[in-house]
Amino acid sequence: MSGLSLHKRLENNAGLLVFGILVVSSIGGLVQIIPSLTQESLKTPIGNTQVYGALELVGRDIYVREGCSVCHSQQIRPLLAEVKRYGPYSRAGEFVYDRPFLWGSKRTGPDLHRIGGKYSDTWQKVHLINPRSVVENSIMPGYPWLAVRPASSTGNIQANLRALQRLGDPYTDADILEAPAKLEGLMEVDALVAYLQQLGTGFDNSMADNHGAEH
Amino acid sequence: MNGTRTNTDTGPLLLRVLFRPKETFEDLSRAEPSPYRIFFKYLVWFALLPPMFAYIGGSRYGWDLGAANPLILAEIQLRIVSMLYFFVLLTAFVSTAFASQWMSETYGARKSLGVHMAMVTILAVPMTVGSVVHLYPHVFINLLVFIPVLIWAMYLLYVGLPVALNIEPEKGMLMASSLVGWLLVGFVTLLGVTVALWTEGLGPSIGA
Amino acid sequence: MSENQQIIANEYYHDGVVRFLVVCSMLWAVLGMGAGVYVAAELIWPEIDFGQFWLSFGRLRPLHTNAIIFGFGVSALMATAFYSVQRTCHVPLPTLRLAWVTAMLWQICVLSGGLSLLAGMNSGKEYAELEWPFDIAIAIVWISFGVVFFSTIACRRIKPIYISNWFYGGLIIVIAMLHVVNSLVMPATLLKSYPVYAGAQDAIVQWWYGHNAVGFLLTGGFLGMLYYFLPKLADRPIWSYKLSVVAFWSFTYAYIWAGPHHLHYNSIPDWVQNLGMVMSLILLAPSWATMINGIMTVSSASEKLRTDPALKFIVLSLAFYGLATFEGPMMAIKSVNAVSHFTDWTIGHVHSGALGWNALIVFGTFYYLVPRLVDAKLYSVRLANIHFWLALAGTMLYVLSMWGAGVSQGLLWLSLDEFGEPSFSFKDIMASMPPYYMLRLLGGFTFFLGTLLMIFNLVMTMKGRPTVRVRPPKITATGEAQ
Repeated sequence: MSGLSLHKRLENNAGLLVFGILVVSSIGGLVQIIPSLTQESLKTPIGNTQVYGALELVGRDIYVREGCSVCHSQQIRPLLAEVKRYGPYSRAGEFVYDRPFLWGSKRTGPDLHRIGGKYSDTWQKVHLINPRSVVENSIMPGYPWLAVRPASSTGNIQANLRALQRLGDPYTDADILEAPAKLEGLMEVDALVAYLQQLGTGFDNSMADNHGAEH
Repeated sequence: MNGTRTNTDTGPLLLRVLFRPKETFEDLSRAEPSPYRIFFKYLVWFALLPPMFAYIGGSRYGWDLGAANPLILAEIQLRIVSMLYFFVLLTAFVSTAFASQWMSETYGARKSLGVHMAMVTILAVPMTVGSVVHLYPHVFINLLVFIPVLIWAMYLLYVGLPVALNIEPEKGMLMASSLVGWLLVGFVTLLGVTVALWTEGLGPSIGA
Repeated sequence: MSENQQIIANEYYHDGVVRFLVVCSMLWAVLGMGAGVYVAAELIWPEIDFGQFWLSFGRLRPLHTNAIIFGFGVSALMATAFYSVQRTCHVPLPTLRLAWVTAMLWQICVLSGGLSLLAGMNSGKEYAELEWPFDIAIAIVWISFGVVFFSTIACRRIKPIYISNWFYGGLIIVIAMLHVVNSLVMPATLLKSYPVYAGAQDAIVQWWYGHNAVGFLLTGGFLGMLYYFLPKLADRPIWSYKLSVVAFWSFTYAYIWAGPHHLHYNSIPDWVQNLGMVMSLILLAPSWATMINGIMTVSSASEKLRTDPALKFIVLSLAFYGLATFEGPMMAIKSVNAVSHFTDWTIGHVHSGALGWNALIVFGTFYYLVPRLVDAKLYSVRLANIHFWLALAGTMLYVLSMWGAGVSQGLLWLSLDEFGEPSFSFKDIMASMPPYYMLRLLGGFTFFLGTLLMIFNLVMTMKGRPTVRVRPPKITATGEAQ
């Protein structure tokens, strides 16, 4: 059995075994990841999709920090009931500036991809501080600390923007310089609400018939 | 020991298992029941209970999945679902008896199909009798009853299998675990197949 | 051959570090499972975070997952890897100091990482939440883990490398690859970074990582544990060598492709989704090949086998392994996934694996290992048997309640009324979940209770007893062990 005798050689040689494992386990990743890194439709923004402004970016960073993705998805699937409930299904081109992606893997709360503009700023603020004051049986935790922490304390907005700029996101040096001013006088809750209110607004109706070039 | 009455008639056995499990299994270990007799005289009737209760509960109250009002299925759909339930149960019970018999070679257990059939029937008793809860078809209440019932049935399996099939305790434990694996996989397959068919359009419509 | 004939005086296996890692693993079990029970309770009574950020669900949940996977799981894997690699190579760990450094540094990484999560340092990527300073630290410790492990293999006194070592080796190599590629970020500050990938690309990379963390850490590594400890317990060799070879390589090849099944109907290319689905189905074969190998090994066990709680746990873990590795491919089918994605069914699936397979096999292994480490009898077989039933009941409660909740959610979310509109509001559907969550909490708590019993049992077994010193066997001129 030449197959097994070949294997006997692998078993007797640690180096070969390590090499074998590395080669065999890299194939799948190479095939699935490399094309996605080069595919234009996954990197090109569609509709009105834009980079996050300073305040919205702070809001997004808060969303990540508090683990909102653990209960809320941002990915509307092309299933009829889902589209009826949440709006047009999500296209890859809407997420090109999302670092990291926040599609989520669990809905303990509703999908948020097109939550932008659906509720007033005030509603959003009140809901974030104490969800049960506006949604009776909600099991969402409250985030009272967001109301008392300034948006400028969340992190170093200029350093953050510079990092994103280095990664290729279209921020100008002027954007980075003006960023702290945009946060002045605002609390973390304002930032988070600003982020939520722009979610899904990159979509415009011209995209409705285009099922996304990603297929 | 001379004074002990050994009753190998399966009927009273099924009731006695609820109160005297150890004794029941010991009696079974000495019995040589006919698989056909077990199937037609007992298993079929026990398997009839859950679909019957589900049908009555479903038509009287509708199935309550918890959100909003209970779902009333169309009469014909309810009938089809109940009949499918019956056939699925029978298939599950009979196939488990055969699977168990197939495993007996490996574990040195008794090979008589009748004994395996009787074992399965005994294990089915808590579930099928417990299915009376289907009369009020609220999913959660049913879960509340079925989970302890299932745990009880698994306990009977672990305790009874080595005794009834004349295997040593260690091998009995191994065989019982294999059967648990078989049952879990079978159940999850059923779950998946049902869901897959349902999303492809083959299943009751549950719009309000 | 002269090296083989040398008997080095006073040479013993280094099991002190094994004992240390076992104890750490048990401590993480308490923390990780305790956190799990707490977050399960928070899903019913959200007020129990008392308005404190460090008790907030969104921060406690990653603490739970990290403590279990990297604390409980990896410590158990390191312990058993160090224990078994020495014995399968017939040589003590050649880099003992590095082994201790690895073990201790790992605990520090996980502990400080966990605290950082509570403080709000979070990369936003599941099972890779720790920020970049921790990523670097973990990578360094992981490399030293690899050095300890592979140097032992390089110094082995038996030529063939036993199969458990292939799996542990796979664990080390593949996790290193996954970690490095998925953690590529541009740091902004010490506490914050952004991934080099964005949007759909990030999603594909993340789930290539996430699924294979399950595949090579939670499955592969633990299969290494199985392949060593099961034959020991059953006092038999593995049933089929050929099957293990085929299973190992097809497992290592196929698992990597399955990641996209986490992204069905999401905005990634269809071909990637379909590839992920097909490979997930193919993966069933190598997974079950290993399970069958395990079951057949134990089924042909010697008649002299005493009823051993350790064996009970490992055998039951195989049944749940079969369940989880069957349910996974099934949920990877798109039409099933349309119902299961985003629901509690996924949570149920995860925990049938985490509780039923991972935790149970660790328990069985520890019941076997700890008495041997101190050359004593297990403190109480009766407690171990009670633990068995608590673990089984807890797992069943957890999984069944989550199946109930998940399938309800999935079907109700998709249901349309006669006007083509959603039949039920999201709010109403989720408002019916608390009863299921109560059952799940009961299940998790029951499981936790059983774990505490085990820890008590094992601590009492180990207390006051030194780690016993075991010599590697002498190898004769013909290469046989004496």
